[in-house]
Amino acid sequence: MEVAYYPGCSLHSAAREYDMSTRLVCRHLGISLKEIKDWNCCGATAAHSLDHLLAVSLGARNLALLDGMKMTRVTSPCANCYSRLKAAAHELQHDEILKTEVERILEAPVPCGVEVLSLLEMFVTQVGIDTIAENVSKPLKGMKLAAYYGCLLTRPSRISGFDDPEQPVSMDRLLEGLGAETVDWSHKAECCGAGFTAAEVGIVLDLGGQVLEAARQAGAEALVVACPMCQLNLDTRQGAIEANRGTRYDLPVMYFTQLMGLAFGYSPRVLGLKRLLTSPFPLLKTKGLL
Amino acid sequence: MPIRIGESSSSLQERVEEACSVDLSQCYECGKCSGGCSTTHLMDYTPRKIIQLIKLGYCDILYNSDALWLCVGCHLCVDRCPAQIDIPRIVDYLREQAYQQGIKPTREQVVTFNALMLGSVFKRGRVSEATLMLQFNLRTRRYFKDAQLGTKMLVKGKVNPFVPGVKGTRELRRLFRGKPAGKER
Ligand code: SF4
Ligand code: SF4
Repeated sequence: MEVAYYPGCSLHSAAREYDMSTRLVCRHLGISLKEIKDWNCCGATAAHSLDHLLAVSLGARNLALLDGMKMTRVTSPCANCYSRLKAAAHELQHDEILKTEVERILEAPVPCGVEVLSLLEMFVTQVGIDTIAENVSKPLKGMKLAAYYGCLLTRPSRISGFDDPEQPVSMDRLLEGLGAETVDWSHKAECCGAGFTAAEVGIVLDLGGQVLEAARQAGAEALVVACPMCQLNLDTRQGAIEANRGTRYDLPVMYFTQLMGLAFGYSPRVLGLKRLLTSPFPLLKTKGLL
Repeated sequence: MPIRIGESSSSLQERVEEACSVDLSQCYECGKCSGGCSTTHLMDYTPRKIIQLIKLGYCDILYNSDALWLCVGCHLCVDRCPAQIDIPRIVDYLREQAYQQGIKPTREQVVTFNALMLGSVFKRGRVSEATLMLQFNLRTRRYFKDAQLGTKMLVKGKVNPFVPGVKGTRELRRLFRGKPAGKER
């Protein structure tokens, strides 16, 4: 299977391990990722909160590049990039006036009907959990994981159309397919405040703290994420959250692709597990996964 | 139909409805949006009140409200709303208006951060998180903020200031339509 790939800025810098593990497990599953040539930043929260037309145009340029590659399906591992690209595609498809204006600014036609999938969605709907489970050579036995979806993977449901907006299960099923156990918990799709990670640390400590606390109370030994912003936020701010709440969490925050890679038999090194701030190694060791 | 108390009251509602493709007359005032909202406990005006203030035409209150800058865009409100009113889009619209009118935001750092990020997109088409954080700390004069964290991230190889930019910058800059980006206002 061939699919266009939109990594986004984070996967080229702070979240390189997400890019590494994504490429590895895709190759393993016979998925050929074609990186969009000369893709630009999706603009994230900055663009849509200060300049709506710019936000849609940034997405439109990426969609136009996709057209140049003669591809109609694209996946992004970053929940924020995915959400921006999908929102742009949706708006352009449903608003002729906007589309005309964006095409005038861009000086290029914007394709219609591009299928934008989050990486999780692609694995679950295009590959299938059964196929993924068949590839497991080293089951993640005994691991108790909290699947954390965050806010942008399933919402707004009218646009994402994937899984339940507030009680999603797809990542749980996938992790179970890898042999792990998942916990039932309240904050699967709550917001961790990542958009404020630099500007309003107080909000991050508040919202991120609630997520970590809920995971701990549910008995999780680690969090599993599908977004570089969630990862960075819950991992790098964990120390400050612990100090703020006076509770030690010590919860590794791993990408679901890293866990797929582990279960497929790849080494922690090639999956970039060393790059996480809260080390998952003590946990992996007690489960005999090293 | 907007409530017509004065000309201004109707025009704000109409502008919002037009720009955001929403119909505020469908609002039941049920408050499900506020009940689900991630930052409702911090907001001066909750999402339900924001809708009401728009209907009543209170531009000034809205443009100066703290809630504008506290919305994290989590879309819980719109997914719970029985009328599917796109509140995050409305909040974005109000932010954009307030920003364009040069109204001092209650959370200046949020706007500074967003403007710096757009500045980077304008310059290079992509964003290096490390450079952005550094610029942000310099701009807000917090030279030692997160220094310890920065060192840890450096050790883990998470700091990469050399993210390659896009080649088609000229074409990309057109998307900004001549508007300054990343400039402090
Ligand atoms: S949930 Fe929807 S209908 Fe209910 S108060 Fe909020 S905007 Fe109005
Ligand atoms: S999108 Fe904004 S207003 Fe809506 S629930 Fe989230 S934080 Fe609240």
